[in-house]
Amino acid sequence: MPPAVQQPPQPPSARKAGEAVPSVDTFDHIVDDYQRRLYGFALRMTGNREDAEEIVQDAFVRAYRALGKMSLEQRSELRLQPWLYTITLNVTRNRLRSKRPANVALDALADPDALLRESNEGPPRPETIVEQNAEVALVEKALLQLPMHLRAAATLRFIEGRSHPEIAEILHQPIGTVKSHVHRAVRILRRILGPQIGRIAPEGAPLHALS
Amino acid sequence: MRCREVDELWDEVRGACTASVKEAVTAHLEACPPCQQLYEEYEGIAYSLESLPQPAPSCDLAKKVVEHIASIRRKDRATPIVLTSVQTPIGKLYVGFKESRIAYVGVDTGEPFEGVRSRIEVRLRRPVVSGEAPLWLRQTLDQFFTTWRVDDTVVDIEDLTPFEQAALRAAAMIPPGEVRSYSWVASQIGRPRAARAVGQVMARNPLALLFPCHRVVDSQGDLHNYGYGLEMKARLLKLEGYRG
Repeated sequence: MPPAVQQPPQPPSARKAGEAVPSVDTFDHIVDDYQRRLYGFALRMTGNREDAEEIVQDAFVRAYRALGKMSLEQRSELRLQPWLYTITLNVTRNRLRSKRPANVALDALADPDALLRESNEGPPRPETIVEQNAEVALVEKALLQLPMHLRAAATLRFIEGRSHPEIAEILHQPIGTVKSHVHRAVRILRRILGPQIGRIAPEGAPLHALS
Repeated sequence: MRCREVDELWDEVRGACTASVKEAVTAHLEACPPCQQLYEEYEGIAYSLESLPQPAPSCDLAKKVVEHIASIRRKDRATPIVLTSVQTPIGKLYVGFKESRIAYVGVDTGEPFEGVRSRIEVRLRRPVVSGEAPLWLRQTLDQFFTTWRVDDTVVDIEDLTPFEQAALRAAAMIPPGEVRSYSWVASQIGRPRAARAVGQVMARNPLALLFPCHRVVDSQGDLHNYGYGLEMKARLLKLEGYRG
């Protein structure tokens, strides 16, 4: 068998052809283009609509200020999307840290069952997210029980649909760390949510009959 | 391939992994029902995350952000630099300050105030108005002419480019009474080949004295050049205690 050909790494071109170099003068467009995405991310990270909106506003202000201090060269090399995710995550972290100094989930890393025990008093409540059905509420709640670094990895991977290298860039972590965090997050979620979550049962079939 | 390895490869197999890894994992799964079960459960988790609803922000979020940015923009542009004249041990200086930080220092060479004012406006891209020297400014300068050092928190180089800021900060690390070369500054900021560009930054230094471009000399130790003349450069260094 011939050795598997790996995709050549894409050159990390900062922008598509014809796309403008980000600047404070085009900032309104940047806000239009990214506000929805960043809001979704902040909402999953905090579980609270008001927090998410404030985080997004704060993140854009920081981005605006930072852009104003960059040279043309720095701005033309800037990869806008991961950079904006990183800023949003930093704002989220600061905010959550100041809101609740004791993060119950941190100690639970080595012991996923601790998360289950904590689940009734878990930190941010997804109460403001519209509950579409019971399973959505369960999944939202479980995600919020993850320690923040695992929640960030899982949110970026599965909800934001980012690749491992992109997540590594956003979190400033090695790819190996990202992979292991994503995996740990999924394992903990599986412990919290049980084996049946997300598996669509055919009409009338008992869940355990699935394989 | 062992179960543990297969477990850890789950997310990779879904995305970018080599065909050979994919094949090995598939082969393992076919022969190992527990791993197959685990993969299905992981898939269930991934699926339930992927299919979470994606609520939209309130419809005026973008508008709020854009308005907020616009108000910052107005405020930033409007903050003027107040330009004043101060008598010091080395003669009269023009000093510009913005809020409570010094943003401009130049020797009064007899150039009319209006000429200096409009030059600074262009250089720092900010309105410049005339005003009185507040107490903190006099005290800061008094202290500077005693210690030949200035606290980082009372100077403002925000309007300069990152390269200019880095070069000036590096120059500020040269102790009073000592000199370093342009290439020393260049290598301090990780741009060892940019000695010439450093020279240009020093020539355009809007905070003369406080950011001590007078302590930067050429590689032979010659004073080389100074915006206010070589005589002034030599005088400043002598006052600081330079014995070169």
